Amino acid sequence: MLYDIRLSLHYQYGYPVAGGRHLLRVTPPTLPGIQRVIDSSLTVTPKPGERSDTHDFFRNATTALGFNAPHDSLELVMRARVAVERETAAFDMSPDLDGLAAEIAAIRSLGSRSPHHFRSQTARLPFVPEIAAYAEKSRAPGRSVRATVEDLCRRIYRDFAYDPDATLVDTPIAEAFAGKRGVCQDFAHIMIAACHTLGIPAGYVSGFIRTIPPEGKERLEGADAMHAWVQAWCGREAGWVEFDPTNDMPASDDHIIVALGRDYRDVSPIVGVLQAGGRHSTQQSVDVKPVAEG
Amino acid sequence: MTTPTSRSSPRSGLARAYRPFPDVFDEMMAADGSVRPAWQPLMTALNGLEPDEISRRFARADRYLSDAGVFYRLYNEGGASERQWPLSHLPLILDEAEWQAIATGLIQRAELLEALCADIYGDNRMVAEGLLPPDLVANNPEWLRPMVGHRPAGGHFLHFVGFELGRDRNGRWRVLGDRTQAPSGAGFALENRVAITRAFGDTHSAMNVHRLAGFFRDFREHLAGLRRSGDEAIAIITPGPLNDTYFEHAYIARYLGFPLLEGEDLAVVDGKITVRTVSGLKPLGVLWRRLDAAFTDPLEFRADSRIGTPGLAGALRDGQAAMVNALGSGILETRALLAFLPALAERLVGETLKIPNIATWWCGQQAEAGIVQERFDDLLIGPAFATGLPVEDGITKRGSVMTPSARQAALRDLSEGNGSRIVGQEAIALSTMPVNLRSRLVPRPVILRVYAARTADGWTIMPGGLARIAQTTDPQAIAMQRGGRVADVWVTSPKPVDQVTLMSREGDEVVRTPQGLLPSRTADNLFWLGRYVERAEDTVRILRAYNSRLAERPDDRSGLLAMTATYLGRLGTDPTRGIPVALVHAIDDVQQTAARVRDRFSPDGWLALRDLSKAVGQFAPKIQPGDDAARAMTVILRKLTGFSGLVHENMVRFTGWRFLEIGRRLERAIQMARLIDSFADTDAPDGALDMLLEIGDSVITHRRRYSMTFRALSHIDLLALDPLNPRSILFQLAELKTQIELLPLRGETPARAPLRLEALRLHTALAVRDPASIDRAVLDTLRDDLAGLSNQLTSTYFR
Repeated sequence: MLYDIRLSLHYQYGYPVAGGRHLLRVTPPTLPGIQRVIDSSLTVTPKPGERSDTHDFFRNATTALGFNAPHDSLELVMRARVAVERETAAFDMSPDLDGLAAEIAAIRSLGSRSPHHFRSQTARLPFVPEIAAYAEKSRAPGRSVRATVEDLCRRIYRDFAYDPDATLVDTPIAEAFAGKRGVCQDFAHIMIAACHTLGIPAGYVSGFIRTIPPEGKERLEGADAMHAWVQAWCGREAGWVEFDPTNDMPASDDHIIVALGRDYRDVSPIVGVLQAGGRHSTQQSVDVKPVAEG
Repeated sequence: MTTPTSRSSPRSGLARAYRPFPDVFDEMMAADGSVRPAWQPLMTALNGLEPDEISRRFARADRYLSDAGVFYRLYNEGGASERQWPLSHLPLILDEAEWQAIATGLIQRAELLEALCADIYGDNRMVAEGLLPPDLVANNPEWLRPMVGHRPAGGHFLHFVGFELGRDRNGRWRVLGDRTQAPSGAGFALENRVAITRAFGDTHSAMNVHRLAGFFRDFREHLAGLRRSGDEAIAIITPGPLNDTYFEHAYIARYLGFPLLEGEDLAVVDGKITVRTVSGLKPLGVLWRRLDAAFTDPLEFRADSRIGTPGLAGALRDGQAAMVNALGSGILETRALLAFLPALAERLVGETLKIPNIATWWCGQQAEAGIVQERFDDLLIGPAFATGLPVEDGITKRGSVMTPSARQAALRDLSEGNGSRIVGQEAIALSTMPVNLRSRLVPRPVILRVYAARTADGWTIMPGGLARIAQTTDPQAIAMQRGGRVADVWVTSPKPVDQVTLMSREGDEVVRTPQGLLPSRTADNLFWLGRYVERAEDTVRILRAYNSRLAERPDDRSGLLAMTATYLGRLGTDPTRGIPVALVHAIDDVQQTAARVRDRFSPDGWLALRDLSKAVGQFAPKIQPGDDAARAMTVILRKLTGFSGLVHENMVRFTGWRFLEIGRRLERAIQMARLIDSFADTDAPDGALDMLLEIGDSVITHRRRYSMTFRALSHIDLLALDPLNPRSILFQLAELKTQIELLPLRGETPARAPLRLEALRLHTALAVRDPASIDRAVLDTLRDDLAGLSNQLTSTYFR
């Protein structure tokens, strides 16, 4: 599938801020076997005094901005044309949980895609005994890693209600878990934490998803949102496999990746927006428009 | 040196009653009861002193520390409090030959740690070769991914490191832990030395004790050499006054002549690291951090850090400044790494470790988990990623004394192959050294912290260090937070030692911080310190006048007391209490503001402030309004002016002093305008004018100057317009004008600088007035203008 994607983030500050620095992760990268970026651009208004485009440890595209002049709003518009061509494995080649542990132990690399990075607690992924107990129910003798993760994904979809008012961007996973409600970010975090307790390396994927309008209705411009899902390492043979617990599905050609990391902190679209003082407002809009190929 | 053997008989005097523990190495006394040679001169000297004289000498050391304001911050349930530095008066003494072995071993270790750090942030060959488990790196909170793949400016990760040493029962030194993130205590070692020489100066020089100054001088030269040009500043960055070792940060900064900065003093502009100063942004070349890496940059590390500098990590990746030590070097402190250092030493420096570390088993490996399970009760069981010492982290325990549930959980993890977060370590019986407790010497466990610094000629070891002594015989009581003490460390030489001072050797380039490097935050604090001191003084003067009148005429027929009470009420002060709460707060404001710029003060100034704060605290609950309060105000006033006087007399007239002075003058002008407005008003009660003169400290001048009093005009003349009265408004405006003209320009031409023009305008406008034209409107406008001047100063210099 070929998409034209437009993401716009607009921040309005209550009063002019003297300057500021931000770190952005909003531009999709080319990922062999998943997606190819044909063209992308990021425009920033007002024009920053400094800008540097590079990438982080996990090979995500980053843009560092520095403003040295007072400004009372910030607008970011990212446009990209991306061809999604996921190769999905037809067969489940993953080992069982014991086999997985041995395969992880045999890996002596700390490269950005090494499963070793995706196994431990972080500030956003603390150990929650209730989540560990929940995860245990997906463990079954002889069950493959992929089947185990699929089971977790299905259960989270089934057991949790999608409710944008239930949680905030910084709600702890224990709270979202206890309330059994939340949004894609909460489901992804809970699923990653659950994978970890089973010994499965798992990470956080941020990106876009194409929404299909109800039959007979026009696609609404800007109605799409940023999305989050999970990647789990299913052994040497199967490698990283993506799961979307919000929709109970493997990542498909409707999923476009922007950034990969251990948790939301590693992939936050923008860090460093002034929070303190003054009223400010934020507007986000996302368009994921399929392009007729040919 | 030669000591008559007759006087060093092993069991004489103080040493006689000293009984080391069996099967534990004692630093002072050998197993046969004889005093070790290195200790003999000191013990002999002590034996020659009367007990009273010994007490006097110890007290002299304590007095030095107390006068110098050496303290540390203690945290407990009740919050934080400042505690006197817990110095144990006997130093730990080691002879040069033994020290040489320690130094050689630690230099090897510093080189190993540097090589390991370069690998961990480089190609990770040690992981690839199986010498280092990937888990210990990848899941280590101190492995900072944003720094991976980047070599620091200057080429080195480590420049200043500390090592924790302990001696086992066989007398062999062992490394207990490495301090690579932001080692503390070197400044305290210096202060210990000064204090102890107050007690044993004579013996100290006779014993040829190695000096510490040369170590710091060489390191300072190394830091200077890391700059790309001489214009770049070298600075120390601190988490701020609430840090438990802030005193030391300020001390080291003063000692080495580097500015002490906080995160907000730095700005990354055009990719470069700069210091925000009152003269604009100045380039920074070297940063010595006392701040944990996770807090240095909210964009890349902890987003909730309010003490960091956005963009710092990126600029460091670009090699824009040298960081001591590199961000991420904290990973080397990881306890579980100790298990792998012996093999890593063979691989990375091609040698066996000269000083072994304590045996450590990381339980992420099956065989090691088995060993720990088997010897569980005898080992110290703790977290694999801990960075503190087992004796001070409060978590690590010997297996045999763990709570049943913790023990069960750990043993279950070990048997189920989930031991990757657990390490077991051998519990060594630390050596002991004598401590003076109630005039008796008793043995207490000790650990030694030694520092290594990089110099032009490679690593050098400070010939001394910080000995930390447990309060009880339990080694867990070593942490200062749990009552532990510290002692000086003497390395003695058989021949006279170099008398080094911090001054550079003749012919060396003199390292001096570029002048005018006054951080904006510091200037801001100095300005407000000036204002707060003056504001407090004004309140105290009014309260004194009020209370002395209350004592004379409590009936207040004139209404003067009621009017003064209203006046004070408008300032938030309730005079019906002897020591109003607002006054206590005003003094707190002074002290807290001063605490933020502590590196700018002499210890005397700081001491005067503490004294003031203490006095107010003691007065607060018991002083009654009236005579009692009037006298208390006199005491407070004297202490307050004592502080002002010390600052005024002792602070070099650099830009920092000017901001303090401007703050004082500005506040005094505002307060005086307010006082004249109320107390010289035509409707003011009888006695108000006398009271005004008294508050304005101008009674005598007035009597001498004016033979007849034309109602209020002479008072206004003296307190508003007299150019020679240091309390008059005009005097303040003249001083403001003078000092503002001496501030650095911010790109303007001198004749057009708005702040200078405004100060000139205010002064001229008042100078041409006569007393009769000073009315409420004029005074109101003046106060508004002064507030405007304060804002203008803020936006020009402090932003």
